[in-house]
Parts: sequence; C-alpha cells; structure tokens
Amino acid sequence: MAHIPVDLQYTANKQSDSRPPIAALRNVSKVFGSVIAADALNLSIAQGEFLSFLGPSGCGKTTALRMLAGFEAPTSGDVLIDGQAVNDLEPYRRPVNMVFQSYALFPHLNVSDNIGYGLRQRRPRLSRGEIAGKVGRALEIVRLTGFESRRVWEMSGGQQQRVALARAIVNEPKLLLLDEPLAALDRKLRKEMQIELQDLQRQIGITFVLVTHDQEEALSLSDRICVMRGGRIVQTGSPQDLYDQPKSRYVADFVGTSNFFDGTIDAVVDGIATLATRSGLRLQGAATAGLSVGAAVCLSVRPEQIRMSRDAVPGGLACTVHNRIFLGEHTEYLVQHPALGTVNVLTPRLIESGDMSFQTGEQVHINWNPGRALVLSPD
Amino acid sequence: MRIYAVCVYLFLYTPIAIIALFSFNAGRHASQLQGFSVQWYARAFKNPFVMDALETSLFVAFVSATLASILGTLAAVGLQNIRGPARAVFDGVIYIAIMIPGIVIGIATLIALVTVFDVLNPLLASLWFEGGQPPRLSMGIGSLIAAHTMFTMALVIVIVRARLAGMEKVLTEASADLYATPLGTFRQVTLPLIAPAILAGFLLSFTFSFDDFIIAFFVAGSETTLPIYVFSSIRRGVTPEINAIGTMVMVASLLLLIIAQLILRRRPRS
Repeated sequence: MAHIPVDLQYTANKQSDSRPPIAALRNVSKVFGSVIAADALNLSIAQGEFLSFLGPSGCGKTTALRMLAGFEAPTSGDVLIDGQAVNDLEPYRRPVNMVFQSYALFPHLNVSDNIGYGLRQRRPRLSRGEIAGKVGRALEIVRLTGFESRRVWEMSGGQQQRVALARAIVNEPKLLLLDEPLAALDRKLRKEMQIELQDLQRQIGITFVLVTHDQEEALSLSDRICVMRGGRIVQTGSPQDLYDQPKSRYVADFVGTSNFFDGTIDAVVDGIATLATRSGLRLQGAATAGLSVGAAVCLSVRPEQIRMSRDAVPGGLACTVHNRIFLGEHTEYLVQHPALGTVNVLTPRLIESGDMSFQTGEQVHINWNPGRALVLSPD
Repeated sequence: MRIYAVCVYLFLYTPIAIIALFSFNAGRHASQLQGFSVQWYARAFKNPFVMDALETSLFVAFVSATLASILGTLAAVGLQNIRGPARAVFDGVIYIAIMIPGIVIGIATLIALVTVFDVLNPLLASLWFEGGQPPRLSMGIGSLIAAHTMFTMALVIVIVRARLAGMEKVLTEASADLYATPLGTFRQVTLPLIAPAILAGFLLSFTFSFDDFIIAFFVAGSETTLPIYVFSSIRRGVTPEINAIGTMVMVASLLLLIIAQLILRRRPRS
C-alpha cells in the first residue's frame, strides 16, 4: 500500500466535518412485526469519513446498515444518499457496496471474476481490458496480485476478507458498508486487517460505514462512532469524545472500562457534584448537564484516573488490595472497599517503581480528581 | 439375523440376476441354459417393434424430464420466497405427488383426461370452421408426457429446493449489492450454483419416465413404450429377448441413477 505521511492523513480526516454529507438518516424507523429495530435514527455521514455503528447484538446497527444498502426499506423516515431519498431504491441501483460478515464470495467464481462481478453489471458495458485493469489495481491495493485465478474457497480467512474488500472498492462506491468484517478473523489477523482497513480508507478516500460490537475496533478505526442501544442512537462523537465525555453510564461502560458508583446528588458547586451513596459515602465528580440535586445518578471513574497510595489522603477511601494483574506497561489492581465493592485501578509502570508496587492483601487509599470523574444518568 | 438378511437379499436379487443370466442364453427357452450367446441382444435391436417402443420411451422420457426440470426449478425458486402456512400447503402437495402410488396417478389422470376430452371434443367439433376436420383430442404421447411431467416435477422441486436451502441467502444479496438485477442474479449466481441439482433431477426424472409401466399403461392410449411392449410380449411367452431388453433397461437406469447420485454428492464448497 502506498504510504501517506501522517500529518496529511490527519488533516484529511479533520476536514471531514466541514464536507457535505454523502448520506444521511432522517428520522428513520424500522419495525419488524412487533420489534422496533430502528427508532427514529438521525445521522449525517460526511464525505470521506470513517463512521462506526457500535453496540451489542440486536441494538439495530445492522438494520441501519442494511437500510443504507437497500436490503431493508425504512418503515418511516428517509434514507438519503447524495442528497436524494433512496427509500425505495433497490440495492442494485444504489451507489454503495457492502463487505459482508461472512464475505459472501461467489464459490463458483475465481478471485478475479469475484472482484469483477460488479464491473460486469455496468451498462453500457465496460470492455474486457478495462475490467481487467480495474481488477488488477484492486488486487494491488489489497496486496493479492498473482491470486487472480485462485478459487476463493482455497484461500485463508484473511485473504477471503481482502477479496471481499477488493470486490467492493473496485466499484468506487460512494459509501462502503462493512458488516462486522473482521469478526471471523483470529485476534492477530484482526489487528493487521484493522490497520489495513484504516490505511485503505485514507488511501482511496471512500466513505466507510462500519458495524461492530467490538469497542476496541470502533475506537481504533473510526473518525466518529455512533453508539446504539435498543434501536436508538444514544451518542455520536469522536472516539475521544465518547471516552472522555460519555453522556450516560451505558456509553461509559461500552466505550472503555469504568468503575460505577450509584447514588443521589447531594449538592453541585462550581460544576463539581457531590453524591451520596446508599451506604452514606460522599463521592465527587464533574456534573453533567441535565442532572439536578436529588437525582439518582451514577459516578463513573475510569481506572486510570484513580490514584492509589499507602498513606491516608483527605477524601480518600481505604481499601484492601484484592488482586494484582501485571499488564506490562500497566498494572491493574482490583481493590476491595467495604461499601463500594470491587474497584478497578490501573497504574502506569512509570510511578510503580520500588515501594509503589502494592501487594495483595495490603491496605491502600484511593482517590481521584473530581474533575476527572463524571456524574452520569444511571441508564 | 445375518442369515435372514442374506435370505432377503437373495429373494430380492436372484430373479434379477437370473434375468440377466438368461439374456445370454444360447437356447430359445427362458428356463433352460444352453450355453453363452449375445444373439438375443442382436434380435432385440433388429426387432422393429422393440425399436419403435424404445424410440417412444426415449422421446417421452426426454421431453417429460426436460419439462419437469424447467418447471420444477422455477417452482423451487418461486417457493423460496413463500413463508408461513402457504409454504406448508405447497410442501404438502409436493410430497403427496411423490408418495401417491403410480396406479392412482395413472387411473386419476386417465379419468380426468377422458372426462375433459369428452367435453372438449364435441366443443371443438362445433366451433371448428366448416368443411374442416376438427382435431380430436385423445390419449397418446401428449397425455403420457403430461402425466410423467406432473410426477417427476415434484422430484425436481424437492432436489432443487434442498440445494437452494443449502445456498446462502447472503450470496444473492451480495449479487444485488454489486448491481446485478434480480434476473442477472438468477442467471449469474443462483443458476450456476443449483445447476448440479437440476441435472440430477433431470436424470432421475428421465429414469423414472423411461422405466414407468403403471402410469404409462393407463394413459398411453395407442402408444407403446418399452415397458408396455415387454409386458404385452410376456403374454405371448417369455423369450430370452425380453431378458436382454430387461437387462439393458436395468443397466441404463442404474447408470443414470448412479450419475445423478454422484452429481448430488459433490458438496457445494463455501
């Protein structure tokens, strides 16, 4: 793959917000029998961006993708591609291509016939030479040159994945839809393909829409993530926004890991809320909009925001080290608090020198900067 | 237990083996071996009645198997999109067509066609332009082909449906996603993938039609197929010539059935 300087990639992606939307969902709902698979979805997809739908199975992310592809028609609302409502446009008339979870390669065709399938449907017809040229370039992009006449079932999972990608991008679609494309690959190959996917997207500049239940995949690939739950979009934002400013416990839990403490808001001073847990503890965190005194809330503290020490600190919580997991550059501690239960603490190696290493059974004190913890709605 | 099994197999296959053995009999009696000879095979091939019957049988088998393959495939593909109670009804009707005894199909087809012809023939005669000879519908090669097609179509539907069920739905979606129209998808994806099942269905239908006596006996009218010829000549006494014909029919049928099985066994790879 051609290498693009890092700073150029960065600006190319930063511009995505200002570009006109290539596709959009306007109040789109989809009902299957008595199940609401998609509930009033609103979303604009910018030209050239890498957008992910993230959520557990059954959250409606695949339905959203299939409505963009044309396999499902929305029950209400509009699906727009390039400014045009395409609600009733058949899949074969839409300028989008999909990479299926199972790849869906045609078993009776060899690699180059699979890749050229979309090109052969074009009217007026493309010449044989044109098709061969485009297929050759697509094979080059996915690094499968020389595999033209292979049977698809003879190839490994990773190679099949690349054929499926080539078969889609060769048509230069306005939107490339990816339905859990890496789910069938083993962990190591998945990492490699993630990097390839990202490189590919930057190289060809096609808008990518990915569906995944893997938060790590969504975080590492996307410019923007759309977190879904029960057919609704609960939050859309850049990976960093979602991680740092989740709007609900659900998002905080789904994007990254966090410690959650339930309670009610006691007071809010200068944007810092104090909440009282059921056991009477007073905990502090940054207040988020829409939460007032007396509201049942949930405090979210990321494991890496928690400081741990042997000496008592003002406002600190006394805990017992329950478990210690060495992770290389980090050490993860599970500490037990009599009222809060197990708390997950992540300490970087840097400060964990000498006596900063804690042993199982040791008494420790934990605390956090209230500005770095978030008071969220509990659902 | 083993001895019983041996007895059953002996009972089943000894008569068939004897038929094959006596077809090579040098003598003219069907019950007395008098040395090896292929003269009865030569006789069968030189017998114009046998050749006529063979031609009729081959024609009927080919046409009915072709019609059954086309109609059966279309039906199987169409049934793919039907769900719920309607699907159960269609499935039931198809399996019933396979399970109904041949004699019932024969009699039912005969009665139905005769009744229809009795209505249609006077109607045609009265409507026909003056002076001309109105066509007379009667039992014959047409009714034979129709009856065989009806029965074997159910076989084709079942075989093709099994293959379609094994074909991933996502492949047709992928084809549509890659700009192929529904017809284009059928031609470029569905048809190539179910072709082995259609071919196997054709061979089974051909074999069935070629071997069938019961249905043909009722609906053939004045036509003589090979099984009907064999049956009627047995009444004039069994000669080794009949044995030779029987052996040839058996070998040809077995070959077709084995080929059909081999085609169906080749698993679609994914």
